[in-house]
Formats: sequence, structure tokens, C-alpha cells
Amino acid sequence: MDWLFFIESSLAGLCTGAIYALVALGFVIIYKATKVINFAIGEIMMISAYFFLTFAGIFAWPLWLALPAAVVSGGLLGGLTEKTIIRPMLGESPISVIMVTIGLSNILVGTAQIIWGGGPQVLPGFLPRQPIFLGEIYVSSKIAFSALIAVAMLICYLLYFRFSRGGVALRATASDQAASFSMGISVPRVFNFAWIFGCMATALAGILFSASGGLSPHSGGMALAILVVVIFGGLDSILGALVGGLIIGWLETIVGAFWGGEYKMLAIFTLLTLILVIKPYGLFGTKEIERL
Amino acid sequence: MKKMLAGLAVALLSLALCFSSALAEDEIVFGETALITGVFGFAGGELHEGIVDYFNYTNENGGIRGHKIKHVFEDCGYKVDCSVAAFKKIQAEYKPLFYSGDSTGFMKAINPELKATENTLMSGVSYATNLTDAATYTRSFIIGPSYSDQMAILLTHAANEQPGAKIAIVHSDSGFGNDPIKAAKVKAKELGLDLVEVITTKSGSVDVTTDVLKLRRKNPDYVLFHGYVLTPINEFMQQMRDLGLKTKFMGTYWSSSELMIMKGGPSADGYLGVMHLNYFDMEKSPGKEWDAMRAYNLKVHPDKASRPNFYMFGWFQGMVWAEAIGRTLDAGKPLTAENLRATINAIENWDTGGIASVPVTFRNNSIPVGRIFRANIAKGRYEPVSETITIN
Amino acid sequence: MRIADAVSSYSDDEAIFRTRTQRVWMGILLACLLAFPFVVSPYLLFLGCLIGIAVISATGLNILVGLTGQISLGQGAFMGVGAYTSVWLANQFALSLAVTLPLAGLLTALVGVIVGLPSLRVKGLYLAIATMAASVILHFVFVHWESVTAGNLGLNLQHAKLFGMELDSDFKLYFVIIPLALIAVTGARNLLRTRIGRAFIAVRDRDISAEVLGVNLLRYKLLSFGLSSFYAGCAGALWAYFFKVITPESFPLEVSIFYLAAIIVGGMGTILGPILGAAFMTLVPEMLKVLTLLLEPIIANAQVHLAPMKGVVFGILIVGFLLFEPHGLAEIWRKIQRFFRLWPFKT
Repeated sequence: MDWLFFIESSLAGLCTGAIYALVALGFVIIYKATKVINFAIGEIMMISAYFFLTFAGIFAWPLWLALPAAVVSGGLLGGLTEKTIIRPMLGESPISVIMVTIGLSNILVGTAQIIWGGGPQVLPGFLPRQPIFLGEIYVSSKIAFSALIAVAMLICYLLYFRFSRGGVALRATASDQAASFSMGISVPRVFNFAWIFGCMATALAGILFSASGGLSPHSGGMALAILVVVIFGGLDSILGALVGGLIIGWLETIVGAFWGGEYKMLAIFTLLTLILVIKPYGLFGTKEIERL
Repeated sequence: MKKMLAGLAVALLSLALCFSSALAEDEIVFGETALITGVFGFAGGELHEGIVDYFNYTNENGGIRGHKIKHVFEDCGYKVDCSVAAFKKIQAEYKPLFYSGDSTGFMKAINPELKATENTLMSGVSYATNLTDAATYTRSFIIGPSYSDQMAILLTHAANEQPGAKIAIVHSDSGFGNDPIKAAKVKAKELGLDLVEVITTKSGSVDVTTDVLKLRRKNPDYVLFHGYVLTPINEFMQQMRDLGLKTKFMGTYWSSSELMIMKGGPSADGYLGVMHLNYFDMEKSPGKEWDAMRAYNLKVHPDKASRPNFYMFGWFQGMVWAEAIGRTLDAGKPLTAENLRATINAIENWDTGGIASVPVTFRNNSIPVGRIFRANIAKGRYEPVSETITIN
Repeated sequence: MRIADAVSSYSDDEAIFRTRTQRVWMGILLACLLAFPFVVSPYLLFLGCLIGIAVISATGLNILVGLTGQISLGQGAFMGVGAYTSVWLANQFALSLAVTLPLAGLLTALVGVIVGLPSLRVKGLYLAIATMAASVILHFVFVHWESVTAGNLGLNLQHAKLFGMELDSDFKLYFVIIPLALIAVTGARNLLRTRIGRAFIAVRDRDISAEVLGVNLLRYKLLSFGLSSFYAGCAGALWAYFFKVITPESFPLEVSIFYLAAIIVGGMGTILGPILGAAFMTLVPEMLKVLTLLLEPIIANAQVHLAPMKGVVFGILIVGFLLFEPHGLAEIWRKIQRFFRLWPFKT
């Protein structure tokens, strides 16, 4: 066994995992507040990356303006989605809501193709490229800096939800909607904010992914691994999203490195099946207590 | 339920009526399942415009020996069942002589149907190695070298440049990506090349660091990419250049497009692509047809000064069809599938006036000939670097 | 005009056709289905067959999702299992369709039961992703079990044989597909009238209550998975006979989503729903094509310029249906029926 290669691959995997964790966090925020599984998450990542492409590439805005603008646009897109098509579905069966988000993903793919064309795009390079060597160990700086940005965003989110009013309102809504409503929390506004914040995290992750993975209207498929992450960690657990993201990112990369890329999906989905058999609500998901 | 179905039947009938249209007596019909939407839409759209422009150009210049061309198409976005439906629709109504298919899956699926048609021959966007099996695919052909032949041409070039060179292959995990890998392994051995690494990537993969690390350890002289268009080739090239590797990069038809120059960045400089066509943008004119094509494009689409080579593909496909029909008519034979196929198989060293970069010769349903072009980033175009390489 | 049906026993109440009018209409429908291939163009015949296959698969999925309430994203992969089984059997042993089809169905049912095992512990969205995991794993098997599936190259299939006859055209296959679709729908309809069907509905509405009432959850959930996959397997086998080639890319995740969309748009938990949904979802892309063709005179090159709009319209249709008619086409149909029934009284 080549231990140096193992460590290098592990580092790369954990970096990917950090970005996974960021998307998963966005996903979990939305799920916690509104109980909606958002299958359009990959397409929101894709559209946000196109926003960034437009701001930084076409309008030539500086990075400090283009990146936040793209992230906020992604968030607003989420808010708009919630207002227009998710809110009216309140109380419908979860499968119908899933289907609505799948319909949304179709709309977003078509829209992207109409606006930006179908060809593959390359985002303007905003991440450093100089390879980093920690002793013998090589780390691609692109993915390392992506991970750093993701982690910074993650920390902001965690602090915000722990200490701010909005965060408390979100957590209260997640645990009991009726009670929070009677305590004066505007639950509909919390829904909207959850979508905005969730999609902002998603948007940032989408830009980071596309910075190294390239971008086309069909690159929303990159989010398939995210579904594994959130189910693995537990749909309503923020801790689960973080741990799940790192584990899945690491596993995927290690399997790809030692067995080959064709085994990546197989490995993570097999792990998912195993965990579901042992722990039906994922690693840290809340077990639903059923009463008659 | 019954009323709904009755309504449906009425709707279907009216739908059927919409499609009936008259056909002039001496028109020649070509059909196409276009690829305007879907994953390969960006290439398919250009390809489609290439075909359309060629037909309009031909019609404006008197048609094929006086026969005007009628072109019917439908967009299917790379979905097999839709393509089959479109084929059946067009077949039922027009019985086209040639039909352009939009995916390997479709061309395989339609084969029994195609053989049962009166007179339809098919070519299309697929370079799948299977289609060179002339015994099974009696009505299909490939307008260019198959993926296996493309790999063989690249490997031959590498062996010529640097005998015994270390080779690595990077391909995607899909039908498209896996197609020529076995043949390429055999060919590499045959040419005495040292195949040090074969990497399969997951489609839609984000991070290529670990694969770059593998390549860094093996330090190959050449890396062959297959099964991609742009990403992640650009990422591989960039990271490997950043690590100071001197490896030469190579790729097959779909990735050897202008996208690689426009979007691959400086690290794409020197990228070697295999191409049986010329590019739309060349330093000096390779021939008269090429000039005519450019002039016609400028006339019809004044806003499109430059075209990716997918457009050339469409134009060339139309040319091959027209040439086959023209030669068959010249020989005084009726336009049947057998005669047309025989004509195509007999095409030898055909000079296309600069559309193809090589003299066109058909073998085994395909044109096993290609040339290596080198990406010159500074000039923003590809330049031919090898002579014609023919695979037997 | 008819105001109500008088029934005097439970069996009458549960009968498939309760009035003579229904029987007459059904007879007319059958006659239309019979006449259909003789009058239409090959293209419409092709669509007819495609809808028939889609109806079988959607009806099967409806048993699992609509009746038993278990969300599945594995329908496409199950169809793949059925398709590969039938092709392999037909190619290896030159078996007739009458043998390969049930065997394909049975093997798929077995796979379905295995995939359904987590459903005992896992529910709702977790189950949806677990079935998606199964479809990823099955896809891997399709690609890598090369001795059976020929990997990415895929398998070719000769014309189907049935009772010594070669089914070498859509015309002949139509007379296999449509009767099978009718049997499939009738089977599902009858299932609703049995203990099994009622148990499924009980599990859907509240599985714990059902268990308390004496419904064996293990047996019925797995039975539902098995039945649903049996339908999927048969549909997949027919798909293979119809297209005569299968590759691992024939049954992507989108197929599963397509069928889920079909039963939702059609109306979950009803018999009519999957039929309407399957027909609707198959025809929508074709209708959109016709629409762009009609726009050609108004917008130059509409077929090219409006192509990306198709995806958008498709998405809007799904979203629109769910927002404005969450119970699907079946509900719209019921409203139309009610309108005619109550016509002079309610205007």
C-alpha cells in the first residue's frame, strides 16, 4: 500500500467532502423547516454557477462583488421557488412535493439552455492554482481553497443558527410549527428564510463545484451524491450533514483512487443501503415515534 | 375513461393530419433526428445547421444532378424512444434515402427496422466501433473513423513521434467512454507502446486530484482522453501542467473541437486531436469547397463568423450523401439502398475540396483515415501536424 | 340520464362494471383499440405500443406507490431487469415470448422483494432513496456483468416468437402489448376488490393501525413490491422486444422519475390514473413537437429555436398539474363525468 498516495487521496476526499457538507447543510435547513425534499438542488447549484459566470465573466465584476452577488441570487431564486410553487403544496403528500421539485429542475435546465446555451462553460478562474505541498503531500490548491471557503460558510451558518434570533426561530419551527406560531414566530416567513438560506449554501457549493468540474445545463447531476449524504447523515440533522458529507466525500475519492471511477457510485450507495438497514433514520436523524 | 380515449383518438387523428404534406416528384428526401436539446445539444445544434446549410447551398446551386433536396427532421434530445418514433414518422411519410441518427443507442435500436425499410441508409453522430460490423449493420455507416480507429490513429502518431512511449488513457464510464478502450489496449501493445495507466472517471465527477496524482506517479509521455467534450480534460491538463509535467495530451473527435482552444486555457496549448475534417478556421484555404462553405455560411448567417467543427461534420455528412447519390445516378443505376451502399463502399481517395482533411476512403462502413491537429492557443486555431494516417 | 345506481348486494357494489352503460362504453373502447392499428399510420401505431408498455409499468408502480404508499425510485431499473432477463433467455434458449415474459416478470418480482426488504424498517423519503440505491447498484450490474449483459455494448434481440409466429412488426406486437395491458389493468382493478388490495390500502393509510388490525406488514409490503416489480419486469421485457436492443443506458433514473410523474399526473391510487398518466406523459413530448411545427410559419425556424422550450414546458406541466389538480387527470375525468351526470340540475 502506498501510504503517501492514501493520505493525498484522503485529503482530496475530505476537501470534496467539505463542499458536500455545505450542500447537505442547505438541504437539511430546508428539510428541517419545511419538510420538503428538494430534488432540484443540483439544478439550483447549476443556475447559481451560471449567475456567477454572468457576473464575473460577462459583466466582469470583481470577485468580491460577483461571488456574493451570485450566492445571493441563488438564495433569492430559492425564496422565489418557495413562494410560488412550494407554499401552495403545503399539506400535500411528500411524493407530490418531490415531484414539484423535479418539475422545477426540468424548468431550470431548459431555462439555462435558453439563456446561456447548451455548451460546456468554464468559470473564470478565481481560485489559486499553485500546487500546495505539505512536506511530500500534494494538495490541489483549487480544491483546498474551495474547501476552505465552504468551511468558512459552514461556520457562519452554524454560529448564526446557534445564536441569532432567526436561527432560534428556525429551530423552533422545526421542532413544533403550531407552538412556534402561537409564540409569535411567523412560520411562513421562516419557511421562506429557510429556502433562501438553504439555497445560498447550495449556490456557493454549486459555484465551487463548477469552478473545477466545469459547467453545462446538465451538470445538475452532480447533486446525486448529496442525496446519499443527507440520507446517510439523517435528513433533519445538521451534524449528520457535516459528518455525512465528509465521510461520503472521503469514501468516494478513496474508492475512485484505489478501485477506479466506475466504483464510486456503487460504493456510496452500498454504504447507504447498509446504514439504512442498521439505522433506518441515518446516522443522526431523529427517529420518528409513531403513535396510533 | 372511454370519452377521454375518444377525445384522445380525435386528437391523434388531427395530429396525423397535420403531418400529411405533398412531395414533389423528383425531390430527394433526407431525414434527420436532430440533437438540438439534451446533453450534446451544443454540438448537435451546430451539426444540424451544417446539414441544413449544405442542403440549402446545394439546392441553390441546382440540387444533386437536378434533383432538389427536401430535408425533414425532428429534435429528440438524445432520447432513444423519441428518436425511434421520429424515424418511424418520417419513414412512413417520406421514405428518405438517407437518415441522420442522433445517438449510438438509436442507431443500434433502429437497425432491424432500418434493414426492413425499402431504401433508407443511415449515418449519424455515432462513431461507435460496433457499427463497423458490416455484416450486422448493412444499412448504417460512419462518416469518419470509428472511436477505435481514432484511438489507433492517435497511438500511431505517438509511436511515430516517440517509439516505446509511455501512454495513459483517461476515459469516462459510459457507453461512449468505454467503446474503444479494449481495442486501444491491443493497439498500444501492437505498436510497442508502454500502456502504464488506464483511468476510468465517473461521469459528472468534480475533483480529479487523485487521478492527477496517479498520472504524476506514472509520468506518461502521452495521455489520451476519450469520452469527454471539455470537462474534465481542461482540469486534468491544468493540474498536470501546474505540477510541471511535460506530458502531451491527446483526444478523440468530440473533444478536439474549438471549445478546447477557447475554454481550455493556456495549458491546452499543444493538445493533439485526431480529425478527419478540416476546421472552419484555418490559416490557409485547404480547397474550393471549403471556401464555398465559408462564403455560404457568411451569406446566410452574417452573425456567425466562426463555427465549431461540429458544423463541418454536418456539412460533410450532407456532402457524402449527395456524392453517393450523384455517383449512383452518373452510373445510371436506380437509387436503391444496395446501389448507394455499393457506391459508398467504392469511394476511394475522394477529394472533398478541403472539407475533409484527408482523402476519403471507405472501409468497413467507415472512413478509417485521420490526421493529427495541434492546438495553437496563441493563434486560437488547430494546425495539422501529421500526414494522413490510415488504419487497416 | 342517470341519477344513481341501485345495488342490492356488496358484490354488486364492488363489481367492475356496475351499469349497462359502462359495459357498452367499454365495448366501444375495445372495438376502437382493435380497429386502431388498421387505420393509423405506423408512427401512431408506434406511439400506441409505447403507451401500452407505459400503462403496464405505471399500473404496476401505482400498486406500490398509490395503493401501498411505498415511494419507489427503482421502477426504471426493475424494467431493466425484466428486459435483460427476457433478452438473455430469448437469445440463449430461443424461447418464445410466452415463456420469457412471465419468467422476466417473476425474476424481477424476486429482485423487487429483495429491494423491498428495507421497507420494513425504512419509510417515506428514506425508502425512496433506498430504492434509488438499488437502481444504482442494478445499473452497475448491467454494465459490469459482461457475460450476461455484454456490458456497455448492450444486447440485440431477434424478433419475438409467439406460438410459432414471428412478431416482426409493430402491428403484430400491438396485438400482444395491448391485450397484456388490458390484463394488467384488469388484474390491478381486481386486486382492489380482494383482501390483498384492502390490506395494501390499510398499510398506505396507516401501517401501524393496519398491523393492529391483523395485516401482516412484512408479507404485504413485500407482496406489493413483488407485484409492482412483476409488472415492471413484464413491461421491461416488452420494451426489449419492442426496441430489439438494450444497453445499460436504456433504463436511467429518468425512467423511474417518468413513471412516478405519470402516476402523479394521472392520479395516484386510482385505476384510471396510471392509464391516463402514462398516455399523457408519452404524448406530451410529441404534442410539443407538433406545436413547434405549427409555429413554424409564425416564427422562423421554430423547431430549432423552441427546442429548449420543450423541457421548460414539460416542467411547467408537471408543476401546474400538482398545483392546480393534485389528484390528477383521473380527478378531472371524474369531474367531467359528474358534470354530465348532474347536467340539467347543476349548471
